[in-house]
Amino acid sequence: MADKNLRFLVVDDFSTMRRIVRNLLKELGFTNVDEAEDGQVALHKLKTQHFDFIVSDWNMPNMTGIELLRAVRADAQLKHLPFLMITAEAKRENIIEAATAGASGYIVKPFTAATLEEKMNKIFQNLNK
Amino acid sequence: MSDFAGMEELLQDFLLESTELLSDVDNKLVELEKRPNDRALLNDIFRGFHTIKGGAGFLNVAPMVTICHRTENLFDKLRNSELGLSSELMDVILDATGAVRDMFTVLSQGLPPPNPDPAMLAALDAALAGNLAAVKAPAAAPAAPVVQVQAPAPTPAANSNEPNWEALHQAVTGTEQHVAAVNAPAAAPVDMAAAATMVVESAPAELIPAAHVPAAVVPAAPKPQNKPAPSTGGPISGQENTIRIDTVRLDQVLNLSGEIGLTKNRLTTLRTEILQGNMETNTLRSLDEAISQLDLLVSDLQNAVMKTRMQPIGRLFQKYPRLARDLARQLGKEVELVITGEETELDKTMIEDLNDPLVHLVRNAVDHGVESAEERIAMGKKPQSLIELTAEQVGDHIVIEITDDGKGMNPEVLRRKAIAKGLIDAETANALDEKQCLQLIFLPGFSTKDQISSVSGRGVGMDVVRTNIQKLNGRIDINSIQGEGTRISISLPLTLAILPVLVVRACNQPFAVPLAMVREIIPIDTTAIQEVSGRPTIVVRDEILPLKTLSGLLNWQPTQKPNFGVLMQSAEKSFILAVDSFVGRDDVVIKPLQNIRPKGVAGATLSGDGSVVLVLDMEDLLAGQMDSSANGSIMLRNADNFSY
Repeated sequence: MADKNLRFLVVDDFSTMRRIVRNLLKELGFTNVDEAEDGQVALHKLKTQHFDFIVSDWNMPNMTGIELLRAVRADAQLKHLPFLMITAEAKRENIIEAATAGASGYIVKPFTAATLEEKMNKIFQNLNK
Repeated sequence: MSDFAGMEELLQDFLLESTELLSDVDNKLVELEKRPNDRALLNDIFRGFHTIKGGAGFLNVAPMVTICHRTENLFDKLRNSELGLSSELMDVILDATGAVRDMFTVLSQGLPPPNPDPAMLAALDAALAGNLAAVKAPAAAPAAPVVQVQAPAPTPAANSNEPNWEALHQAVTGTEQHVAAVNAPAAAPVDMAAAATMVVESAPAELIPAAHVPAAVVPAAPKPQNKPAPSTGGPISGQENTIRIDTVRLDQVLNLSGEIGLTKNRLTTLRTEILQGNMETNTLRSLDEAISQLDLLVSDLQNAVMKTRMQPIGRLFQKYPRLARDLARQLGKEVELVITGEETELDKTMIEDLNDPLVHLVRNAVDHGVESAEERIAMGKKPQSLIELTAEQVGDHIVIEITDDGKGMNPEVLRRKAIAKGLIDAETANALDEKQCLQLIFLPGFSTKDQISSVSGRGVGMDVVRTNIQKLNGRIDINSIQGEGTRISISLPLTLAILPVLVVRACNQPFAVPLAMVREIIPIDTTAIQEVSGRPTIVVRDEILPLKTLSGLLNWQPTQKPNFGVLMQSAEKSFILAVDSFVGRDDVVIKPLQNIRPKGVAGATLSGDGSVVLVLDMEDLLAGQMDSSANGSIMLRNADNFSY
């Protein structure tokens, strides 16, 4: 099982949603969580602080989740970070776009703690391969 | 996740945030009517519905997800130019927004919202399919695929919540984790059709082909017991019991309370020294300093705490463009509502209490204030009328003005109307000047529209507006120029927590009178008192004002003959309050009285010397004065028995 001290960055423009994700992570035992309200803020935090895992919404103003993902993957310091993309749509082209951009996983709203855990475990497994 | 239990806090947050978001969407919708092709606006609105849908999904509010999902899809098509915006489509969208707002209201009461009105869903679906009766035919082609996929074609990836990520990921990137430059476009077209079905799939099963809708659905529509009380009308924000505060402001409160703690420590030390007999000049000077500092800190703290309750009035204003738009459309008028000063801050409780009066004033301006386009053209005005809603801080007051460029008010018409309705007698009416005639609209039962419309004109309006404003210790004023327009100004204190009062004495006791009602102070010259139909009055600058003694109003035994008169401007009319003497002006914090509620007393406060001062509620005090020659005057005559 993953280290419970992993530091998460939850990115969403809707603070209620950030809180929901934060609560779900807490249910799974991850309490080291910081938040950002859009891709720009997230990128700034990622560059100035240490994080182990990014959970980001797709649709946000200023800088979307997919733009953030591309920026993260293009950054030598950050490109190794696991990146879980959250979205409301299960549209095929979105999934392909996220995969192409290098997302480590993809989760469709609404989800439960169990789904989140399952997705995260898959990501951790892939990391350890 | 089936109930709200354990999620109340989350629900509160969601409602607070989403309500703001929805108001923002509402305003953007009004903007959108002016600039239907603005991509940024379309994107913002799309994201608004998308975000609300996401939150509603987690809270398991299926009906809300259903509406938001369809509306979101509609905006997806709009922003991709697959659909064109028409006013009919706009109405469908605004209906959907209204439905979501109603659900917020139901949710805020802790109830699960009812299923959305099938007729509205049908309209949304029809709009989505490009079939809305009068929806402008879009570029034809894009609408077709959607219609055809309405037959729920089960695809292999039917489990839309669980896309096979692993397989996809491997297919696209290969088994390796790093980003590979894969030629995605090759795969995409194949999947487009599947993606299109998903839109339909994820919508609930009750989806009905648009063509069948009206007949099939209407019988099921009336479900009154499930609906939120419709009579309340308009957006109901409900009393929010949470507040969002800028952390900077909260930190300031924290800092100040820390400082006060330090000063208290200093005082404790000084007290010990003084108790031990150390009365040196230095000690006393330090004591003086510490107390001055405490003085400053406490008033800073009061200010800082007050600031935490301050909210921008824009939160209220942002609802009105939509209101004005809907009403104007209903009345067939062209109206633009321009808002300025939305960043002006006001106490949160006042903002909530201001909503009803302002809604009424905005409606009045649209309904009564401005003319129809035809009338305007005939008068040589622009067909589109302008209503301005402004807020600004002037000194320690907030001034809110609503100005229209409509037909203005005719004082003569108002005068005749008031007489015809029996609100005032002809004699009184003829004594009124033009400005006073305008004030007639504040009389209960006054309404200038001959025909009662559903909008306004039920005669319950302006008097309620004025009463509400006065409850907030505010004033309301009218200016109107015939043919040019009307301006209504509301002036409010910054906060209700601290009340500026005039402290007077009567019956050997201090009383505080709200300063907002005080116009001026005059000495009472017994020879100037004239009896008019048995009531004592004094003429002040040609104005005949009734004289009422404070002791009389309170039904207390007078102890001396009143020396001074306070000219009070109250809701109904002006009068002179006769008191024994004055103490001065003060800013007080009203403490409610526990268990007892003497007539005419709003509460009590402590004066600087520690004595209790009763704060008077003039409205309540006058309420018992219905019979015209009430105790006040009788008492005054009794008071005449006191010899000087």
